[in-house]
Amino acid sequence: MDIQILDSWLRDYLETPANPREIAKYLSLCGPSIEKVEKVGNDHVYHIEITTNRIDCASVYGIAREASAILPRFGIKAKLKEFRLDSKSFTFAKKVSYLEADIDTNLCPRFTAVLIRNVVIDKSPKDVVDRLQEQKQPCRNAKGRQHLVVDISNFVALAVGQPVHTFDYDKIKDQKMILRESKKGEKIRTLDGKDFVLPGGDIVIEDGEGRLIDLAGIMGGKESAIDENTKNVLLFVQHYNPSNIRRTSMALAQRTAAATIFEKGTDAELVGPATLLAVKLFETLTKGRADQNILNIYPQPYKVFSVKISEKFINERLGIEIQKKEITAYLSSLDFECKWEGDTLDVKVPSFRAKDIRAPEDILEEIARIYGYHNLPSRIMDGDIPDRPTEVKFAFENNLRNIISGFGGTEIYTLSLVPESFVDEKHLKLKNPLGPDTLCLRTSLMPSVIGAAKENIGLKERFHLFEIANVYIPRSNDLPDEKMILGGVLSGYSYRRAKGVVEALLERLNIDVIFKSEEEKGFGASRCAFIYYADVLVGKIGIAENTELVYYEFYLEKLMKSAKYSINTPSFIKIPKYPAQIEDVNFNLPQKTKIGEVIEQLKNTKFVVKAELVDIYKDSYTFRVWYQDQTKTLTDKEVHGIRNEIISSLKSKFGGNLKE
Amino acid sequence: MQEDILNTKNQALAQLMSAESVNELEQIRIDYFGRSGKFTNLIKDIKKAPPEERKHIGQTLNEAKKSIETLLEGQKNSFKEVAREWFDPTIPGEKPDVGHIHLITLTIEKISEIFTRIGFERARYPEVESDYFAFEALNMPKNHPARDEWETFFVDVPENPKSGKTVLTPHTSSGQVREMLRVGKPPVRMINIAKCYRRQSDISHVPMFHQFEGLVIDKGISIVNLKGTLDYFAKAFFGKDRVTRLRPYHFQFTEPSFEIDISCGVCGGKGCKVCKAGWLELGGAGMVHPNVLKAGRVDPKIYSGFAFGWGVERVLMMREGLGIPDVRMIYSTDLRYLSQF
Repeated sequence: MDIQILDSWLRDYLETPANPREIAKYLSLCGPSIEKVEKVGNDHVYHIEITTNRIDCASVYGIAREASAILPRFGIKAKLKEFRLDSKSFTFAKKVSYLEADIDTNLCPRFTAVLIRNVVIDKSPKDVVDRLQEQKQPCRNAKGRQHLVVDISNFVALAVGQPVHTFDYDKIKDQKMILRESKKGEKIRTLDGKDFVLPGGDIVIEDGEGRLIDLAGIMGGKESAIDENTKNVLLFVQHYNPSNIRRTSMALAQRTAAATIFEKGTDAELVGPATLLAVKLFETLTKGRADQNILNIYPQPYKVFSVKISEKFINERLGIEIQKKEITAYLSSLDFECKWEGDTLDVKVPSFRAKDIRAPEDILEEIARIYGYHNLPSRIMDGDIPDRPTEVKFAFENNLRNIISGFGGTEIYTLSLVPESFVDEKHLKLKNPLGPDTLCLRTSLMPSVIGAAKENIGLKERFHLFEIANVYIPRSNDLPDEKMILGGVLSGYSYRRAKGVVEALLERLNIDVIFKSEEEKGFGASRCAFIYYADVLVGKIGIAENTELVYYEFYLEKLMKSAKYSINTPSFIKIPKYPAQIEDVNFNLPQKTKIGEVIEQLKNTKFVVKAELVDIYKDSYTFRVWYQDQTKTLTDKEVHGIRNEIISSLKSKFGGNLKE
Repeated sequence: MQEDILNTKNQALAQLMSAESVNELEQIRIDYFGRSGKFTNLIKDIKKAPPEERKHIGQTLNEAKKSIETLLEGQKNSFKEVAREWFDPTIPGEKPDVGHIHLITLTIEKISEIFTRIGFERARYPEVESDYFAFEALNMPKNHPARDEWETFFVDVPENPKSGKTVLTPHTSSGQVREMLRVGKPPVRMINIAKCYRRQSDISHVPMFHQFEGLVIDKGISIVNLKGTLDYFAKAFFGKDRVTRLRPYHFQFTEPSFEIDISCGVCGGKGCKVCKAGWLELGGAGMVHPNVLKAGRVDPKIYSGFAFGWGVERVLMMREGLGIPDVRMIYSTDLRYLSQF
């Protein structure tokens, strides 16, 4: 969360010659981050980011307290000015005459309230308004900060970091309050006029007639709200169980300023001073008089606890050695009480840090930040390097990218989240998508990659896009199977040219595959081939349905296992001693002959070591055939024999005829 | 002998002057400098000359040889000049199709290469992750306010009694405990680079993005080591003049936690429109929280470690001179953009 505070207000609690720029710079280095200092009139506004663990800093006083510890480290004097509050005129009592309270102290470990009689609701004084001006309170009542009572509450909340609530005392029936957990389905109208059906387990307050008058810690009830006719105010300062507040605030989506503070766990000890500060403001600004007895139900007051930390631990984790004396000085400046017992330091944790400081690591952070991270040296660790080599898959993927881009492919990244029309029947859906176009986790790269190609179709030149990304296949009782896929699309390429790119890729990977014609979803009828290495399906290629685009995909895990280069070094094959005889043979083949099968047939002939298609003219196909024997040079007669074998097998299998 | 040399030389020069083709020139070269050419024979004859004259003869021979050769080359070139066919070596080539590797991949490779140089191992963990590894094991119990920082996508599947809800991992930190469990016993030096998802989309956020997560665990790992490692990365990635600084921050899974800034490359740290008073935010880091070590079955009494998780897009956009104004542009599939890199 962010807060905005005025420089002049900060100086009410902090005595320092530091200028706003210095305060911002040094606090950011050692404490809360001051994102921006803005000049407003003669004053400055600090924009401060408060992290969830440092809710004690979400106030003017909290920032002053930090500054008083940090600025001296930069050679600038700084002193925290204590609050002057009149505690002698008031008694904190377990029971009071003006209110009967029945409190569940698990939900509200400290319950404090005081009646202020005969308030006169006037305009807020200018300095109060000015100070609140910069604070963007998400929650305001209808009258906004025009209303003095609301302004006082907001002022106290920002001054010390304790949210404060006020009731119109005369609207509380029977002057009775029951603070309890809500039941599921109970209804409440909050002071902004909204109606809520409660999920149950929320902290609520019921009055003597059983009406819900407060959604505690989040927003007051409409029934008991202050208005311009209010005469008697019940000032209400509490410490709530943060997890109940959090749950209700999230469930009802009511992220009020009070809720975002209470849910992080306020300091129960802060309730006292906050009450007295509010009383003082009421008495001065509204002419009201507070009852001398302040109701204070606080069965288990804060007990100081300590954390032990050793000198060795501090120096080891910091990476440098600092003196015991210094350590003590840093911690004391932050209100930690320190005592060395030999080489162990006993650190007493003040109440306002009780939520955050639990372990030696937490103490270490305090020492380190006040010492100043900027004062620490930089050094890469020595020690052993992990002895497991990095997985080959990363190198394999990069190799694919390099090869494909070398053959003209351009890599794209498309979103893994796709509309429902893009996925298989079995797929995963998001509960809270950004919209219907990003509802599902994709089960195929095909629609995304083809979509990307269509966006570029206006280009005249042919192009080739590819992506390497996961698809997500649901599994029961387990996280989905995340399968890495290479998907590519070629536009403006003939099928043969496109397939040639894929074949060249496979050749570079040293994988010997077979293409088998298959019918497949997403491809045109008989426009798809499956790609097998041995019996393993490693990929697909074909013409995408209703397009002229060639789409291919490979399953990376399968492909990697098949690729000889990826895992093992391929074995050397001896260069043949005796040259091959190469000749081009022409065959007339009947229509609808699958040339892939013809080539396979050629290659399966003894002494044929290689066969390629070199030309097509009408029904006439020219194949280049390599004849070779490893042990001797083949004679013309022998080649003639092999050729005859080819002729007869092509004749019987495919009905092909040699064209002389 | 001197005279023989001069005569031979003059003879050769005369023949060269009157030659009419490259072939003729070649024949003359062979006649004089071939295996039994006239000049070659003169060189062989040096031995017969009286020793006191040899030096002088040698010099004359060399001078003569040089002048013949110079004329020979000159004549050759002049023939070429005449015979030259028109040729334009600057004519545009016929290119093969040229492809491009995506900026994100290039960045990931660069990051990965920098860290593997100092002993880190590349890893990648699930994108669809259980609540346990994404939050709970990272010291963020259910309903913890710190979880608000991660605008998490939830997957619509029944809750698992052990590992809880299923989410799209909002950060690579979910790989921390997985890596510890995989390795078993430190040392750990992991660089986990993977896709992450958050419910956001604006000029500086995309719902799908990439992070790189470093995790180092060993005996005696300190804040000084974290600073050293991140400084090394910043200098290797952004340039040796850049410096980093740590500021206190809070993450549930590290203690102490930091925000890392890098000096602005535009103004050199003086402060400008691009940066905050001379600094740019790089990302978060910290010393691994003992509860996270315990979740990874690493004993926090013996081992300590540090971790950081930064955006790939963020460090990419921070590179000087790139000038991409909107992070969403990075994921455009427009070839006019893609083919620039």
